[in-house]
Amino acid sequence: MQGKQIKIDTIKDALNEFLKDEQHLVLGFETSKDGVRHRIFKSSLEHFSLLNPFFDVNGALYLRRLFSRGSQIILLLRPCEIRAYSELVKLNQIEREGITAVSIDCFGAVSAKDGENETLADVDQPKDYFKDTEKMRWTCLVCRERRGVVGDAGIRIGKDGTIWVFPYTGKGENFLSLLSGELQEAVEMAIVEHAKPEKFATDMTEFAKDISKCILCRNCKAMCPVCYCIDCVFNGDEYLPKGDALLNKVFRTGSTDMPPGKELFHMIRMYHVSQVCVGCGSCEEACPQGISLTKYFKGVSERLQGMFSYMSGRSFDEDIPYLTFLEDELKDAED
Amino acid sequence: MLEGRNAKNPEIIGFACSYCTFKASEMAGSLRMKYPDGVKLVQVPCSSRVDPAFVIKAVFEGADGVFVAGCHPGDCHFIKGNYFTRRKVAALKEMFDTFSIKDKLHLFWVSAAEGRRFVEKVSGMYNEIKEKKNAGKTN
Ligand code: SF4
Ligand code: SF4
Ligand code: SF4
Repeated sequence: MQGKQIKIDTIKDALNEFLKDEQHLVLGFETSKDGVRHRIFKSSLEHFSLLNPFFDVNGALYLRRLFSRGSQIILLLRPCEIRAYSELVKLNQIEREGITAVSIDCFGAVSAKDGENETLADVDQPKDYFKDTEKMRWTCLVCRERRGVVGDAGIRIGKDGTIWVFPYTGKGENFLSLLSGELQEAVEMAIVEHAKPEKFATDMTEFAKDISKCILCRNCKAMCPVCYCIDCVFNGDEYLPKGDALLNKVFRTGSTDMPPGKELFHMIRMYHVSQVCVGCGSCEEACPQGISLTKYFKGVSERLQGMFSYMSGRSFDEDIPYLTFLEDELKDAED
Repeated sequence: MLEGRNAKNPEIIGFACSYCTFKASEMAGSLRMKYPDGVKLVQVPCSSRVDPAFVIKAVFEGADGVFVAGCHPGDCHFIKGNYFTRRKVAALKEMFDTFSIKDKLHLFWVSAAEGRRFVEKVSGMYNEIKEKKNAGKTN
């Protein structure tokens, strides 16, 4: 594969040049003494970081309902963030015009809740962040796509530590032309394709036990990048009963757990995001009760996407399975 | 979560398309064909109107089984609705399978002229669930 081999400064210089235009912005990572965070840069880059070993939220969350209105924006984010961006484009939540999405090889991330994060920020070689994978979030350990192969272009790290840029679309070509250097045959990359996931299976007892601590604060929903309905079914009391509706429910079905409906909430949300969930683990990061949500959301969505040989955010050109069909398929589903 | 009041007689919620399956149920009625009392129909304008959230809610509110029924593929009043239904329900079945509750959900096609097929389908489902329930096998 042909790409440009670059230095980190090549990218910084190019982006600074790009940002000289009033209308131009870059969404990427910034280092500070508290770790690494998302930042939208205007005019120039300060403390820009290509990689981010800490995960708090999925950056695509900030892009919902974004219509760039004449500005040019370059995204430099992790694959799970660019994949969520791409799903939101397909769902008409983001106008792709004006946006160049660049995915960067990801070496995994630790939870931003983890107090010992700072030590990681000092490591120079990104490859060395996770020599010891013990701290890495579970969802990153089993991540299906850590390679910067999604979006308009990808920044990838070679086995020898060199940095490479590859274009995937016309916009990617334009991005590449901002960077100095010649196209050449690339070396072997540090991160390779992930094996197919194992089929996830569970039962209601295990699920109820894991979810039992849920207080229905709905942070998990609020922080999920692809859970975007303005009018969520859980906004009223119909699905999560209170007062008389709660008593009616108790008389109708026996007893109820408290708060009522948390399993229902998660099951419905799980279905609703099943084709678009990117397995980023934002939901789990957001949970004040420390519930292992990704196990279910990722597990279920991988099975449901697998039915249609789909992978959320892998490409701009694949239709979301629920929005299309084949006339002759799925005979097994009919009784 | 799933204990119904009726220990022995299952409760089944069926979402039936008003252009076909619901018509078939009316036809069965006018021909005095009987189907079990425990089968409660919810009329929907098209099977694709059924948000899987409805199905999940019905199960959590104590239904022993839920079915989604519409016109045969290719015959949708809205041209393509039931093809989308099939994808959505197939995926929902897969999700139920993940949680080991796949038995609770059924999908079938019954046209407006198929009163008998309607009765056979719902009675079959009802009896199957009732048998398992009485053998103490459903969760
Ligand atoms: S989920 Fe994957 S892409 Fe996202 S931070 Fe973890 S390893 Fe990186
Ligand atoms: S459900 Fe969780 S893992 Fe899936 S996209 Fe939303 S936040 Fe990420
Ligand atoms: S964030 Fe945690 S406690 Fe809050 S609703 Fe989600 S699972 Fe429940």
